[in-house]
Amino acid sequence: MFSKVLVANRGEIAVRILRTLSEMGIASVAVCSPADRGALHLRHADEVALLEGASTADSYLAIDRIVEAALQRGAQAIHPGYGFLSERARFASTVAEAGLTFIGPPAEVIARLGDKITARNLALSCGVPIIPGMTAVEPDLDRLADCATTVGYPILIKAAAGGGGKGMRVVRSPDLLASAAREASSEAAAAFGDGTIYLERFLDRPRHVEFQILADAHGHVIHLFERECSVQRRHQKLIEETPCIALNPDLRRRMGEAAVAVAQAAGYVNAGTVEFLVDPAGAFYFLEVNTRLQVEHPITEATIGLDLVRWQIEIAAGNPLPFSQQQICPRGHAIECRIYAEDPGKGFMPSPGRILAFRPASGPGVRFDSGIYEGCEVGVQYDPILGKLVVWAEDRPAALARMERALTENVVLGVHTTGGFLLEVIHTDAFREGRIHTGFIEEHFPCWQPAARLEQLALAGAAAEKVTPSNRAVGVQAASTEDQISPWHRLGAWDLGR
Amino acid sequence: MKYRFKIGDSQRAVQIDPPDKERLTQVTVEGQPQPIAVEPLSPGEWAASLPASKVCHLVTASSPEGTWVWADGQAFLVEEPQARRTTRGPGAAPKLAVTPPMPAVVVEVLVAPGQRVERGQALVVVSAMKMEMTLSAPKGGQVRALNTKEGASVSPGEILVEIDYDRQEASHE
Repeated sequence: MFSKVLVANRGEIAVRILRTLSEMGIASVAVCSPADRGALHLRHADEVALLEGASTADSYLAIDRIVEAALQRGAQAIHPGYGFLSERARFASTVAEAGLTFIGPPAEVIARLGDKITARNLALSCGVPIIPGMTAVEPDLDRLADCATTVGYPILIKAAAGGGGKGMRVVRSPDLLASAAREASSEAAAAFGDGTIYLERFLDRPRHVEFQILADAHGHVIHLFERECSVQRRHQKLIEETPCIALNPDLRRRMGEAAVAVAQAAGYVNAGTVEFLVDPAGAFYFLEVNTRLQVEHPITEATIGLDLVRWQIEIAAGNPLPFSQQQICPRGHAIECRIYAEDPGKGFMPSPGRILAFRPASGPGVRFDSGIYEGCEVGVQYDPILGKLVVWAEDRPAALARMERALTENVVLGVHTTGGFLLEVIHTDAFREGRIHTGFIEEHFPCWQPAARLEQLALAGAAAEKVTPSNRAVGVQAASTEDQISPWHRLGAWDLGR
Repeated sequence: MKYRFKIGDSQRAVQIDPPDKERLTQVTVEGQPQPIAVEPLSPGEWAASLPASKVCHLVTASSPEGTWVWADGQAFLVEEPQARRTTRGPGAAPKLAVTPPMPAVVVEVLVAPGQRVERGQALVVVSAMKMEMTLSAPKGGQVRALNTKEGASVSPGEILVEIDYDRQEASHE
């Protein structure tokens, strides 16, 4: 086992990984950018390596500096967390070439699965259903049009190097294909330096269901069951839960087997996630493999009872998984709500600022993994995630009740957050009955505005009056009050990524 | 004392009278008076209750923009008039100002002084928390001045691009 590990990340995930290292008796090195000198993750590490440089490219994305820091401080392995360098094959190979261990899959596996076309063909080769469409990129518009006709409209154009919705276009009729293809290609070229595109059938109202897998270096691959992640907006997940109520035991078994088959065919080692779409008829299709620890991994930890970060480290150290598929038995129901520093009443606009009050929820079955503390500054440089509120209970109704309690308890003041919005989402009948799909938020909460009860307003006003009795407060805002006319308001929902 | 509650895009008139002899704060929302007892628990924490209603645990925090209040899983920002002016920055952005809606970093500047711009044309791309957003021209006109550059940190109220808007179009607004 390693005696020292460097964590190449920040925020809540760095804190989460550092905690497991501490429990395993492994010394830890945190890295930090100049902007993060006061960050929470530094307080959980044994050592801190400062990565000088104003931009993220010079700090959390600086492959050579991070590897050098690990070597200098005598770490034997690097955990990449999620985001940043976690899915960069070149990072994994540089770490290995330096004689260190990358806590994740081998570089060539990351590269193979990072290309959507290669991943689709891999799934196809082991008999796993893929969304009907192309299995090669296609620069020729005529052939693209022919394929679209064969597949049937509506179709979805995707970038081979895609991610985060960039280079993606839904096309509903043949006359719109050419312009959409050009747009998707140039957007992908700008975002990934690779403008190659392909197309597949556009599935209407699917669920996003993913399977957690663990693969050791000795060829033993198991899955840790599913996570339902359909509640998203702009391709960013908001609420995840496990189990998924749309899977019956047979479908669950087949999807689990498919996930393991894809992992085996890819030569996968370490923890990973095989993503699927499930259509309303119960057919499932392979989507992609995420070659990292997922943000939402704690719900799997809650129902399976394993520390996924610990098993990532054990696997990276060469230890075999000591349990078989049959020994993995999920228990109860877990839900995660992502608390972002965003203003849901203003189109989820980022809301940076200082955390003025923070009282994390606790009590039975509640876990809040966060990267904040009272007084810390949430800057504009990084991801807006403040923390992940996770609950576990015996069954789904109990978990919903527990999440409601936890969200009500989880005080975060100073920036706008998604907390109040998510409380409203879990109150809806559609969510309670599990009638969810990837367009759930757009369907049920278009242009959402906070609707405070009179009673809440009265209470808020009375409390504010106590705090500033001499001041003439003029407004209470749940979302935002900017009444100036900026170009944003005229544009309605804003234009992401241009 | 008259307060104006702004919840998202809607406003409600509210009257708050300081605690009376029974230490009840009178809060009148939409014409309905609600006597509320607010007792301090610890710094920044309060027990508040409406008559015949359960006690609600409130958390408050003061900021330059006003007072944040946590009530029942929802955060509210109670603004104060003087703060409203200062948070806008110098000169409080007038109508049609090209200003970021939140603190951000400028990623790209797409126009130059003297350039003619059309309504909806992209002017500046800013980024906050890994989200890129495009500020566009609210009306056609000519760029008078550019007050920012790539890599600059910018705040709401700062006018990034000054535009002499076309008169004719302006009169339609």
